Amino acid sequence: MKDQNERGIEVTGAGAALKRKSGAVSFAAAVALFILPLLWIPGKIYLTLTIAGLAMGMLVFLIASGLSIIFGLMDVLNFAHGALFAWGAYTGFSVFKLMRAWVGADSVLKNVGVFSMAAAAALLAVSVLGMLLERGLIRRVYGSHLFQILITFGGMVVLVELIRVFWGPNDEVIVQPLTFRGSWDMHGVIVERYRVLCIMIGVVVYTMIRIVLKKTKLGMIVRAGVENREMVQAMGHNIFRIFTGVFAAGAALAALGGVAMSVFDRQVYPDMGGTYLLFAFIVVIIGGLGSITGSLLGALIVGLAYNYVAYLVPWAAAAVNVLIMIIILLIRPTGLFPAGR
Amino acid sequence: MPQTPVQMHRIGKKKNRFRGAGFFLKTGMLIFFLGAPFLFPSFKLVDLVMNIIIFSVLVASFDILLGYTGILSFAHGMFFGIGAYCVALLMGPYGGPSYVHLALGLLLAVVTASALAVVISFLSLRVKAIFFAMVTLAIAELAIVLATKLSAFTGGEDGISLNMPGIFAVSHRVGDFLGTQIGGRVFTYYLILFGSLILFSLMIRFTHSPLGRVLQGIRDNTQRAEALGYKTFIFQVVSILFGCVVAAVAGGFYAMWVGYVNPESCLGVMTIMLDVLLMVIIGGMGTLYGAVVGAGLLKTAQTFLPDLQHLAKTVFPNAAFIHQFLERWLLLFGVLFILVVILFPKGIIGSMRGYMARRT
Repeated sequence: MKDQNERGIEVTGAGAALKRKSGAVSFAAAVALFILPLLWIPGKIYLTLTIAGLAMGMLVFLIASGLSIIFGLMDVLNFAHGALFAWGAYTGFSVFKLMRAWVGADSVLKNVGVFSMAAAAALLAVSVLGMLLERGLIRRVYGSHLFQILITFGGMVVLVELIRVFWGPNDEVIVQPLTFRGSWDMHGVIVERYRVLCIMIGVVVYTMIRIVLKKTKLGMIVRAGVENREMVQAMGHNIFRIFTGVFAAGAALAALGGVAMSVFDRQVYPDMGGTYLLFAFIVVIIGGLGSITGSLLGALIVGLAYNYVAYLVPWAAAAVNVLIMIIILLIRPTGLFPAGR
Repeated sequence: MPQTPVQMHRIGKKKNRFRGAGFFLKTGMLIFFLGAPFLFPSFKLVDLVMNIIIFSVLVASFDILLGYTGILSFAHGMFFGIGAYCVALLMGPYGGPSYVHLALGLLLAVVTASALAVVISFLSLRVKAIFFAMVTLAIAELAIVLATKLSAFTGGEDGISLNMPGIFAVSHRVGDFLGTQIGGRVFTYYLILFGSLILFSLMIRFTHSPLGRVLQGIRDNTQRAEALGYKTFIFQVVSILFGCVVAAVAGGFYAMWVGYVNPESCLGVMTIMLDVLLMVIIGGMGTLYGAVVGAGLLKTAQTFLPDLQHLAKTVFPNAAFIHQFLERWLLLFGVLFILVVILFPKGIIGSMRGYMARRT
């Protein structure tokens, strides 16, 4: 609860100037990080890696944004978010299995159809799951960070085990829809089709979140809730109903990320949530807990850095993101975009 | 002689310290641990008791962070693993089975763990305590990746084997006593038992010291502790440092007993860390002795689960549902974990203490 005070500070005058300056600094740092690998990587491979990194970043953004919104509004750090992501992936996997004929069909319409159906099924199933989780577990422990982490961690264990019960403990292969496979060769720069689709999904989702948060009444209430929860309640809004809705929305974002990521990796496995939850944590620490733009920027940094380093020094790929996180914690402990946006 | 109510209370407590259920339970537990190698003829049971002892120390050190300081660290398993790896590396590929290397290994474990604990707490505690959970999880996962990928140094997935020196060696035999073979294993058992007793007493001393009381104050109300003039950050760092060093030594004990370390069994977040969390929650946060209860219950359950599965298969050969259910025992533990967090947030020891306090 004590975080509320820190967040309630108005940004005016000198504060705004400071913010603009620090924004410029972080922008310059991001650009430097973006250009730096060109010293070692040939240009054409660099472009391919950049597109791969942007695609991965956009997918990680889908998970991290949900985590970030939930924390921003509800002050809950959801450790079960990775498990929700895995549930989304497995729901999508079931739809792909059911509609095998459409996956293999050489028709853009059918391929896009099966992908949208998988996404829709995952969104629906996981948002219901998210609602149950919020109503059943998290609601009992509002106000205590420690118990929230413990109970969502327990929820994660149970959800991952349930995946093993329903779908079996082994890795499963997802077949990419036929027209999503393959790549374009643009003067030696290899661009995989599905990666472009991932980037598009990410941009669309980011724009939608921005529009909902900035232009709608619901978004206004959510933003107000991030700033000051008690005040929103005093204005006569049932904040608990909004909590459930936001949690479901965050879970749905994770599910969408799960479907897109499983097709990206061409596989699903029960522990996949843990791997990407870690990415999401690093992203929200880099970007600032509670900020959507911060999540996007953090996710892109993580995705790009991972791909560049995986090409240069394969074993260090997992370490570089933790290293970036440590550097950010040292120079800007609250992340690039502190909460409230 | 002037006596304040607090002094009277303390004197009363001191008078009654050799009575009451708590004292007898603790003494009984100690006698049980001391006699375990002679009580149980099978190695499996002695191994279980040893595991309970080592995990009691690990879980109690985690309890210092979680229950006494209110900080949740997902890297505690990593510190356990670091201790195990330090001992294993110095007794295995970078040294040999000698007493000097054993002592050096434990010393290295303490030094590495304290350096890392200070770095992690300086990184993540500056903002909010909630960051600690995330940062430690990231670092713990990184440690697993490093231990697996740097196979030239750590042995990778295959891990490292080690032998104990001199009288502690498995091959060392003395003779029979009360039907139990006295040899390296029994000596190692007592070495680790006494080491664990020292660590446990240290932890009890730590939590009852003025420092420990300040930590509990910080846990209950950080702002008030700050207002009273305590530098909460320094106190939290000291607590994390102490807890992590004890965890590392416990890890060293584990390596000494098992004689083998690998990333999965020593560093894994979903293996070690999950067990530790379950044990501390079930036993009771902020009680220290809850660690023994939690470790005892969980380790016993895990040891006898295969037997239970086997039994279920012979008794109900056709009930596939039961087999599947027992195979997914983690699900059972997960549900138990959630139920305990919701219904008995104080755990077994905490709830029992509350019950006793209400009765008298």
